[in-house]
This record gives sequence, C-alpha cells and structure tokens, in this order.
Amino acid sequence: MAHRVVIVGGGAAGIQTALELKSRGIEPIIVERDIELGGKARGWHKLFPLFTPAKDIIDPLIARLREERIRCFYGQEVTEIASDGVVLRSGERIPGDAVVVATGFTLFDAHRKQEYGYGLYDNVITSVDLERMMNSGRVVLTDGSEPRRIAFLHCVGSRDEKVDQKHCSKVCCITGVKQAIEIKQMFPDADVFNFYMDIRMYGPGYEELYRSAQQDYNIHFIRGRISEAAETINKRIQIKAEDTLTGRPLRMTVDMLVLLVGMSANYENKNLAQSAGIPLAPNGYFRTQDSFLGSVTCEREGIFFAGAATAPKSLADTLAEASLTASAVCNYIKVKYTK
Amino acid sequence: MRSLNFGYAISHPRAIDMDNNDLRKSRAIIEEMPELQACISCGSCTASCTAGNITNFNFRKLHTSVRRGEYKGAYEELNKCMLCGKCRLVCPRGINTRGLIMLIKRKLGDF
Amino acid sequence: MTFFAPFTIPFIVGSIVMFAIIATKWITWIIQLPKVDRRLMRHNLLTRKTLYAIWEVIRESLLHVRIFRVNPLLGFMHMSLAFGWFLLIVVGWIETTVYLGWQMIPLQGHVFFKYFAPLNGIDTHIHLFDHLMDALLLFVLIGVALAWFKRFRARAMGMRRTTRHRLLDRVALTALWFIFPARLIAESITSAIYGNGGFLTGGIGGWLNNIIHHDILVALYEPSWWIYSSLLGAFFIALPFSRYMHIFTEIPLIFLRQWQLRPTSERKSYDNFEIAACSRCGICIDPCQLQSDLGINDTQSVYYLRDRRYNMLTLKVANNCLMCGRCEAVCPVGINLSTLRLNSRAKRRNIPHEGRYKYFAGIDRSNGSGKIGYFAGCMTTLTPSVQRSMEKIFEAVGDEVWYADKDGGVCCGRPLMLSGETDAARKMVVYNTDLFRRYEITTLITSCPICLRVFKESYRLDGIEVLHHSQYIDRLIADGRLMLDASSEVFTYHDPCELGRGLGIYDEPRNILTTLGSLREPWHNRDNALCCGSSLANTIIDDQQQRRIAERMTTELDATKCHTIVTACPLCNKAISRTAHHPTQDIAEVVARNIHQNC
Repeated sequence: MAHRVVIVGGGAAGIQTALELKSRGIEPIIVERDIELGGKARGWHKLFPLFTPAKDIIDPLIARLREERIRCFYGQEVTEIASDGVVLRSGERIPGDAVVVATGFTLFDAHRKQEYGYGLYDNVITSVDLERMMNSGRVVLTDGSEPRRIAFLHCVGSRDEKVDQKHCSKVCCITGVKQAIEIKQMFPDADVFNFYMDIRMYGPGYEELYRSAQQDYNIHFIRGRISEAAETINKRIQIKAEDTLTGRPLRMTVDMLVLLVGMSANYENKNLAQSAGIPLAPNGYFRTQDSFLGSVTCEREGIFFAGAATAPKSLADTLAEASLTASAVCNYIKVKYTK
Repeated sequence: MRSLNFGYAISHPRAIDMDNNDLRKSRAIIEEMPELQACISCGSCTASCTAGNITNFNFRKLHTSVRRGEYKGAYEELNKCMLCGKCRLVCPRGINTRGLIMLIKRKLGDF
Repeated sequence: MTFFAPFTIPFIVGSIVMFAIIATKWITWIIQLPKVDRRLMRHNLLTRKTLYAIWEVIRESLLHVRIFRVNPLLGFMHMSLAFGWFLLIVVGWIETTVYLGWQMIPLQGHVFFKYFAPLNGIDTHIHLFDHLMDALLLFVLIGVALAWFKRFRARAMGMRRTTRHRLLDRVALTALWFIFPARLIAESITSAIYGNGGFLTGGIGGWLNNIIHHDILVALYEPSWWIYSSLLGAFFIALPFSRYMHIFTEIPLIFLRQWQLRPTSERKSYDNFEIAACSRCGICIDPCQLQSDLGINDTQSVYYLRDRRYNMLTLKVANNCLMCGRCEAVCPVGINLSTLRLNSRAKRRNIPHEGRYKYFAGIDRSNGSGKIGYFAGCMTTLTPSVQRSMEKIFEAVGDEVWYADKDGGVCCGRPLMLSGETDAARKMVVYNTDLFRRYEITTLITSCPICLRVFKESYRLDGIEVLHHSQYIDRLIADGRLMLDASSEVFTYHDPCELGRGLGIYDEPRNILTTLGSLREPWHNRDNALCCGSSLANTIIDDQQQRRIAERMTTELDATKCHTIVTACPLCNKAISRTAHHPTQDIAEVVARNIHQNC
C-alpha cells in the first residue's frame, strides 16, 4: 500500500505538492478549508511579470488533480497537526505518514489602516478588489465613470509596525507596477501615480517591467508614503504625502486610490504550531529549520511546509517550493520506511 | 580655510561635509534614541504633520540633517512643532517621534 | 522633683533637632508661597473650611480611613501606629496631669513617666491608667507586628509590590520597628522591679521576676531605658530627612488643601507640602501599568516624589509617566500626582521666545457656519470615520455646524502642556479661543478627550459650552432629537483616561450604548479603567512597550466576549484596534450606523 501524506491547504502550494507526490508514488490527501481549491490565486486576474492569466496556471493544476483522482476534503478546517496526521475541527483524525503545511497567508485587512478610509470612502479599493474588477472586465468608480487619475499606495500592511507587520510582503511592489500598467493599458489617458517607500524588484523580469512602467507607460513614481486620505464632496479622494525626494508635502486629488495590501500570517498559525510543538517566526509565519537546505522542514520530523505558510512568496516561488517540498517528503518517507 | 570669511558668503557650503561636521551631538542623540536610525524616510511624519500643514516645517528632513551633523537652524525650526503626536501615530517604524523632538531640542538647545 | 536622667539625652536632643528642622521647613515653605496662595490662606482661615480640615486630619492622619478602603489590614496597621501612638501621648499626658496637677513638666517627664514616677516617689495608684497605657501599647505593638509581617508578606496586605527605600528611611524604619518593643521591655523591667504596671507590662514584669534574678534586672534597668530613649532619638533625627516627614507634613497639607491651595503647572512652594506628605506607602505602585505590564520599577509616583524631594529627579523619571491618573485615584494622601509631575517637566522646558508660533497669525482652516462648533482634533484626522460619523449625526438632527479644523487646524495645546511647555501652549490657547470667538459659536464639540480637557481646564470659554461628542449625542437622545435603532448588539466600553478619570465623564457613553444594545463592563472600568498606553504624556516608552500595555488592556476588553469594543478617544481607538480581536469603534461610529432612518 502506498504511503499517505496529508496536505493542509488546497491552494497553489498544496495542489502542486500533491501532484508531485503522486508522481512519486505517494498518496496525497488535501484538506481544504474553503469549498473550492485554488486558494488566493483563484480570482486573480493576471500574474506578474508577463501578464499571464492566473486561470492559465491554476485551472490546469486543478484539472490534473482531478485526473490523478487525488482525494480532497472540502470545507474542513484543520485544528491540530502532528507528524502522523491532522485533526479536523469536527474531531475527525486523518492519519498520514507525513504532513505538509501549505496553509498560505491572509490578506492584510485594509480596514486596519483607518487613515486610508478603506470601507469608508467609496473609491478606495485594495489591489485584490482591483484584480476582481479587472476579472469582471470593468474597472470603474462607484458612480460608473472611468477613473482618470489613479494612485497606488505601496506597503499597506507591510513594513508597518503599527499594524504588527514588520516584514516586507515581497510581491506588492511588482503587483503595483503590474496593475499600474494594466490601468494604463485600459485607460491610456489616465494619470497613474505610485506612492512607494522603496521599490523592491527582486525577480527576473521585474526591474525591466518597472522600467517599462516608467518609460513606456509614463507612470509616475512618487517616493513617499501616503499618511492620510479624505473624501471630497464629489467622492474623489484627497491624499496627503510627503514627496520625500523634493522634501515637500504633496497633496493631490485622485479618482481612485488602490491600496497594495500585504500578506499577513494566518491567525490560526498560532494554534496549529502549538498543537505540533513547532515554533513560529516573530511575524507569525511558520519557522523553517533554516533558509538554505532546511527551507521546507522544521524541527519536528514529518512536518513539512510549502508556499506562503513560511513567508510571503510569489506564485512562481510557491510552485517551485512545492516541488522541493514533495522531494523532501519523499526522501523522508524513503529513509523512514525502508530499512 | 574655514576660518577665512570674507563676509559675503551666501550660505554654508552646498555639500554635507561629513569629514568636518561635528557629529558629537548627533551621536549623543542617536545613543539616547537608537531607533532613530531605523527611519526609512517614508515621509509619513511630514505628510501628517499639523505644523507642516501650515508651515514649511519638515521633520523628516530636519532629523536627517541633524543626524548628519547639520544643526544650523534646527532648533529654531523645531520650535514650529506643536508636539501633537500625529507623527508618532503614523510612523511605520514605530519611532518615538515626540520623544525625539524633545531630545533634539534638549541636545541642541543645551538646556 | 527631677525630670532629668542621663538616658533622656538622646531623646531630648532628637526631639529638639526634629522640631527645629520641621519648624524651619514649614516656615520657609509658607513664606515662599506665592501671594495668591497666601491670600487664600488668610481668606479661608476663619471659615468652616478650617473645621473640615480638623475633621480630615482626624480621619486621615490618625485613622487613615482611605487606606482602610484599599485594604482593611493595611489600614489597621497604619491606624494602630498613628492613632495608637497619638493616644499613648495624649493619655500619657493626662496621666501625668492627673498625678501632678497643672504644672510645667518637661517633655521627657511625660514620655518617660514610668521611669520618673518611682524616682520622684509619686504614688501611681490609679490602675486604670496602667491598664489603659498597656492596652494602647499593645495596640501599637500589633501595628508594628503587622509592619514586620508586611515586609515579608506584602501580598497579604493587598500589595503586590512595596517601596524600595533609601538609607535614612531604613534607619528610621528600623528605629520605628524597635521603639515600641524597647518601650515594652523597659517598662516591663521597671514593673518587675517596682511590682506595678498594667496587665501587659505588669504581667511581663511578674514573669521576669520569676525567671531572672533581681540583681540582673536592676543591672538591666538603666540600659533598657537608654535603648528606648536612643531609638526615639534616632528616629526623631532621621524623621525630617526620611519618609516619616509625612507624619507632620500631612497635617498642614490638609489645612492648606481645605483652604483651596492647589499645585499648578508652575512649580511653587506649596508643592513641598505635597511632596513631603508622601508616606511612600507604595500603594501607587500596583496600579501603575508601566510596572505591571512593562516591569519599569523606578518611575512610579512614590519614586518620582522621592527623587524630587531629594533633588535627584532625572528628566527620564519625570517624563516616564502615562498620566493615566490611576495612582492619583488611589493615593491615600490625595497628592495631585499628575500636576506635580507636569510642573517638574516644566522646569526643563526651553525658553519660549516671542517668535515662536508666529505663523498662527492669519491662519483659518475652518469652514461651514453655525452656532455649534466642531473641533475634531489632530488625532481624529487619522480616524476619518469618526469625523464622518459626526457629520452624519449633525446632518440627521439638522444642526448647522462650523468645522474648526476640517482641513487641519492648530493643535489644542495640551500635548505641549503635557511636555511641560506651558508658556508656548498659551499661544495655541489664545489662537483657538480667538477663532472660536470670531465665529461666535455657543457650543463647542470635540471628539478628542485630550482637546476636551484643555478646553475645559485651560481655556477661558465663558459663554461657550464645551462638550465631548458623547455628551452631545447623549443629550440628543435624551431630548428625543436623535432616534436610534436598538439591536441585540453587545458592547464593551473602554474609558479613556482623559475622559474618565480626567473629566469624570463615565455615564454619557454608557447611556448611549445601553440605548443601542447591551453593555458589558471589562474587569477594570470607570475610575479604575486601564490606560491604552498611547498617552501623549509619556515620551519615554517605545512603540513596542506602548503596544504591550495596549495588548494587556485589550485582553480584558476581548474577554467580555462582546460584538464591538467601543471607546471615545481616537488615540485609545488606535491602540485598541492594534491588538483587539473584536472590531473596535468610536462611540460616534456606533451611533452613526444605528441612526433610525425615518428621523
């Protein structure tokens, strides 16, 4: 009988790990909290840096999962993890020879930055809202008109100790650049401003995209973090920042303010880690053994990680890591069960 | 050369002269409040500043200058601040900006 | 008749030194009082206030009623020591007067009457006095025993932490601990030799007679009185320099306070009375969140007053205080801790120069018009939904409102005052007062308790009613102008320090919340409510420390298992929402989302 591995989370990381394990002759079981697979990537419009439709990545993955007849539990939340299985909220226990934690991340709740008025002002939206809008094919203001002046604010819920998010979420910079270009492609006459603290273009093709945004799309990058937003009578958004490069306060009124929300650790990580007796990093993500050869393992044998459960990661990085996780699980089982 | 003054210098030299600037006060300030070094110059403090809303007071530039040993006029400039504390509330690095303002004033004002 | 023996010298010297020093101190302090204060003294001296003061002296200096309220055992300890000793002196004086009639007897004659009575051949035939004095001695000894017990088991007395003392305090404390046991021994040996004494000294004397040879007792007689007298002398000399100065300072303080003298934002001589009246009981330590949440152990009011008294106050200690007022609320001496702390910050202020804040001239960021003025406050611009909710409420009731600082105005001045820059803050007071007057508003509503407090306490806004928005809303509801939809929502309310302890506004927000749904109180509430940690008064603690204070406090709010945490201060709001697991809203937001649609 094949060895069985329980994968917690059916997002990109979980699916990819499952597929890789299956191809190595191991029987994966996915436990997904949601009623659908695909995680955060589902519902995303296009992916940086090549504007690949997210569907083109996620749908084939899910389709392959079906083909391989990999067992999935839907709408089931895992409350305890151990190296020999997991326990669901219902109390049911799913045994396995190893467990992969692919629980991903939580989107930063933009309501927490009260000063930006998300949820209060009609035309303040998050990057996620914008993706949904683009998915639906209509990016409009609440009154139905087209935005002509759009501001993106980087680092909302990243690098911000006031909301306990000390870390950099890694993907928002490039997402901001990508979305700004998409807006510009949709509304060539619109003015787009990206307010940033630092632009971190770490991946292949990212810096090139940034350059293209500046030169080919005439997107304005303003170095300064917006400190407050207010709504005018005609529902436009008045923002205040310092243009730190000229050292002067900057005020402007835009039609739409897009908050590039960061990635937070899941609140549930605390309980899961406690049940497994494994440590969390100070920012609430799972702590891996190290950043080099132990980047998908932890101190407890038999528990593995894949994807953004351990740190903010792009979809590309997540998929790459999932394969690594699968191979680590494989080795572990091989060593443990063959004499 | 510094002692030569012909009386018609317009302002101090354009470059921040890190070789000759007296950094003792700057060091003393940083020593008392090391978190100041964590500033990432996002400009939130200046953008939200109540005094900066009415005047050209720029706290970020000011404390950066002070850190570089450029003290001239800093004390007088800091007197524009109303100490309302908004900057502390918005600082993403959690810097105790109000305490810092009082610290700089104390160190520069010698009281 | 002789009332002198060599052993009384330490006592005599000690008491002379003590009274001389105390008298010098009092006289200097009173002479240095500002004119206003001296006028108040003269004005109130021959009024009923003096009688109240006498009554308060009995209640507080002798009986220690307020400490009883903190913990009965602790109260009893203080009462037995203070009131017991006082009665020993009074009854002792009556005793000598009864035996010797009205005549001038030196002080040591009263104090060591037990020694001098047989020496002068006085027949102490009234046994009632013996028993009464013994009973009082026993009463004091119980207090001493409790004090010993407190040293080792503070928790039993309702105190988690007690004060760490200085050397002279320790000298005085040690002397105090042994004065009454020494007196017991000296009087018992005397009783043993002369075969007299009440139930206690007589009883012990009889027992000593049985087990110790008479010659040894005689040999111990003089030394035992020497020890007693020396301990008294040591205590008296140490007293004016130690915390026991409070025994004598609390009395004039009570009088001065009844005569309406108060500390101000400027240091003045009156402060000396308040500072020296601190007994360093340490009751202020436990409520201090810097202590309980952050483990900071050198800045609580007791240490602050100590440092200030001995001129070793550092700026750090003066500034490291949230001014939440929790210590002031429990101080058994009723010292104005926050005001004192403030005026010692003022000492280190920079010299205000005329040019400062000149830029206020001609600035007017207000808009709208109406007799009602709304001052959002600097912090409220960071919680825009509070401002938005207020606009919605104004609109619902149809009040025309003039917005003083919608586009960012001039600060109210309190943050500057909290940092000791009172003079500079006056410029803001003048600017804002002028602004309010120019627009002829009759009501001023603010959403920020910090602004509210300074408007009420430092502005002269005669003819303008100053309200917190919770008071305004509460009034709208009471007047039937604002109809709200009640629901089954469960709220918990956090009392902001400035609004609650600062201004006594506890009920209005609660009225509003009980109109809207049900209210659950956190463990610490009202005048015992915890501080959110973000207080502008503290410029020492860092962001993570602020957060830790907020987290501890929020745990209590979360524990009520409410639906919504409600507060009424933008700073508290920010601090709570940082760590709370329940949604946090300002009272204005809660009201605005429950306005009845047809009204």
